[in-house]
Amino acid sequence: MMNVTQEPGLQKRKTRKRTADSPEATPRNAIITAIRQTVDQMAAEVLASQGGEDVTAKVLASLSEVSEQARAAGLGEIPPLASELSEAVHSGEGKEGLLLQGIDRLHQAIDRGRQEAPKAEPGGQSQPALARISADPEILAEFLVESRDHLASIESHLLTLERDAGNTEAIHATFRGFHTMKGLAGFLEFPAIQKVAHEVESLLDKVRSGQLSITPTLVDVVLESADYLRTDVARIERAAQGEAVPKPADNEPLLVRIQAQLTGNKKVPSEAVIGETAIAPPKTDAAPNQTAEHEAKPEETKKEIKPEETRPEAKPEETKKSSSPESRFVKVDTSKLDFLVDMVGELVIAQSMIHHDGQLSSISNPKLQRNLSQLGRITGEVQKTAMSMRMVPIGQLFQRSVRLIRDLTRKSGKKAELVLTGEDTELDRTIVEDLADPLIHMIRNAADHGVEPPHERVQAGKHPVAKIGLKAYHQAGHIVIEVSDDGRGLNREKILEKARQRGLIQDSHQLTDNEVFNLIFEPGFSTAEHVTDVSGRGVGMDVVRKQIQKMRGRVDINSEPGKGTTFYLKLPLTLAIIEGLVVAVAKERYIVPIYVVKEMFRPTPASVFTVVNRREMVLVRDKLLPVVRLYQRFGVEPRSTDITQSLLIVAECGSKRFCLAVDDLIGKQEVVIKTLGDTFKSISSVAGGAILGDGRVGLILEMDGLFTESAHG
Amino acid sequence: MSTAIVVPDNVPGALSQADSRAGKYLTFQLDHEEFGIRVLQVREIMGLQDITMVPQTPLYVKGVINLRGKVIPVLCLRAKFGLAETGYTARTCIIVLQIHQHARAMQMGIIVDAVSEVLNIAPNEIEDTPDFGGSLPTPYLLGMAKIKGKVKILLDIDQIAGPDDIQGAYCRVS
Repeated sequence: MMNVTQEPGLQKRKTRKRTADSPEATPRNAIITAIRQTVDQMAAEVLASQGGEDVTAKVLASLSEVSEQARAAGLGEIPPLASELSEAVHSGEGKEGLLLQGIDRLHQAIDRGRQEAPKAEPGGQSQPALARISADPEILAEFLVESRDHLASIESHLLTLERDAGNTEAIHATFRGFHTMKGLAGFLEFPAIQKVAHEVESLLDKVRSGQLSITPTLVDVVLESADYLRTDVARIERAAQGEAVPKPADNEPLLVRIQAQLTGNKKVPSEAVIGETAIAPPKTDAAPNQTAEHEAKPEETKKEIKPEETRPEAKPEETKKSSSPESRFVKVDTSKLDFLVDMVGELVIAQSMIHHDGQLSSISNPKLQRNLSQLGRITGEVQKTAMSMRMVPIGQLFQRSVRLIRDLTRKSGKKAELVLTGEDTELDRTIVEDLADPLIHMIRNAADHGVEPPHERVQAGKHPVAKIGLKAYHQAGHIVIEVSDDGRGLNREKILEKARQRGLIQDSHQLTDNEVFNLIFEPGFSTAEHVTDVSGRGVGMDVVRKQIQKMRGRVDINSEPGKGTTFYLKLPLTLAIIEGLVVAVAKERYIVPIYVVKEMFRPTPASVFTVVNRREMVLVRDKLLPVVRLYQRFGVEPRSTDITQSLLIVAECGSKRFCLAVDDLIGKQEVVIKTLGDTFKSISSVAGGAILGDGRVGLILEMDGLFTESAHG
Repeated sequence: MSTAIVVPDNVPGALSQADSRAGKYLTFQLDHEEFGIRVLQVREIMGLQDITMVPQTPLYVKGVINLRGKVIPVLCLRAKFGLAETGYTARTCIIVLQIHQHARAMQMGIIVDAVSEVLNIAPNEIEDTPDFGGSLPTPYLLGMAKIKGKVKILLDIDQIAGPDDIQGAYCRVS
């Protein structure tokens, strides 16, 4: 992710300069005179426009100037008037009349302001905001949460906008985000946020009125502003927790850049006004981006706001959208949710205990039986709902990748677009959190190693813009996430060569493709010739595999030279529940996670071998596998020490396979994983506990730890 | 809690320390001896129930139990104190405690022979732990309470049952 603090301009934490329009810099009366002049000029323009020329843009600019100056001069009455007028201008109906009235009211307000004594500027730049932060922690906390939401939505809408410049809804949503941020910051007196948000708002206002076109540079600036706001919000949060924090980062360079966009990126105003449409449709052959940003891609600057998507049509859609989604959600503390899920688990167990109670079931009272089965149904429904509350769509995780790809491709000069599929696929919140890092690594990998530079792609007969795919779907109780690219593919020979150099393999002739590809997950393995700041240091893929394995998932690779690579991440839907085999050793019950189990059988005497001084081995499908006797490991008295009396479970963890000897199989059960706490964290062979159907605690076995330990012991 | 109590002047030793130790204690029996633990740390007292053994733990760690959906460890105080382990009786019970260690709270059960009563112990009834000679460390003894001619041993349960202690013991055993 792009980080604001890396921007050279923002890194300097010099004392903030007062802006030129602050009351101390210019005498108050001079400002009022200036406002008066602006208003007069505006009035003149409106009058002149009766002839048919559209002056909406000019009026809007003047109005924002007026309210800005008025704020600086402490004229509290004027900004609301000005914004009211802006709205009137937007609405487009009989605006001349409204405007002239409004201008009269402005005049009056200015005259009143001239007579009043100057008041302290509300939300002024000079106020050290942090001193007041602790005033109301609740409001502040709400502000922090809300700001984060707004920033996230701003970012995703901006990225949509960059792909599809005509998307008016995205423009409005971004605008709304900044507008709300400005409002909140103004209320809580965070001038730095307010100022930046305000400037971006004016910029976006021009975009939505069609005066500015959307260019990558413009999106860059707006994204940067969003990043700035995010940093500042984080800073405020730290301050609220009582940490000593620096002053807000200097936003002058950012403001200058926003201003440059505001002024330097103007489109040629259209001369034709169609009917009552307030906003002139932009010309299709817009003037080239005048900021002459060399990075700006010509095809993107040419993307146009479509004429039909003008304001009057977009407005009803905007109001409809803004009211519905927020109101249908309730924010709940996650710990409460976890507690609920825990309790529901208990409920299910209690219900099943009643259900299996021998005395109760012997009562042949139809009413009782009916009530019992009703209880069972309801419990099941409650459990399902409680579990689904922890599920979130994977879309938000994918959205982060959109930004990542954008930044990566702009840095490296490659071209790639991200194709998202199955964003609505749901999975456990905790998995989403843990998946973020591996996914970022894999996408970086795809963008940096997989995708070739455009000229190479053209040579290979491919489209210069590469496709990086992110796809999620459910498959057999798991969620599968595919990360694919249509780049150069994995180079089998190169991987083998590197592996031989590093001594990872001796002979390579009999390795399957899959085995070879899996070598890239070895720590420190990289085939990149050049180390870039993106990837190539050989860390990353091993982190990916480790993280995925920690979540009880696996990674598979499919790759074709010249055609691309696809990574398949296969993960359980939730980390809270595990499906397991309940096995018995004497009176103890243990749970073996079902995903490690390959098969089960009772061994015959002939298939068991004991190598002198080595461990016991058993022949399974022509392969000798080591045997781990669970009772020996755990020091329990078994039913019988004769191996042919016990049940062998063939388990596979990572690349290792072994047989676990237990007394009996009790059954298959879904259990809620409970941690054993710090007390037992050093025990590597137990992954946790689970409450079994009879209310007792069963230990969930950690097969990897079990095997590794017995190998050493 | 104890600030309102006027301390009589006949108590030798550190008054301030005695002050902080006064208060309500739950007393229980263990091999004919009476012990006391601060009542504020007691969450509940329950009869003996099925305990799931956890491998690779010291002998005095009996395992884990299901406390209304939470899995909590259970220690046998007899084994911990090096007393002979007798069979469980009808009076044997598990005291569930709130343990604080490294500013983190956790619940833990201890198995005792029988629970006696809750006593309000005044500062003048508490004496410092006697010097057992040598350098015998007694970090988990808060002091001794003399009540009606009998001595009750006051335990600092945080010192006894903390996870660090169990892990340390585990290392020695293995």
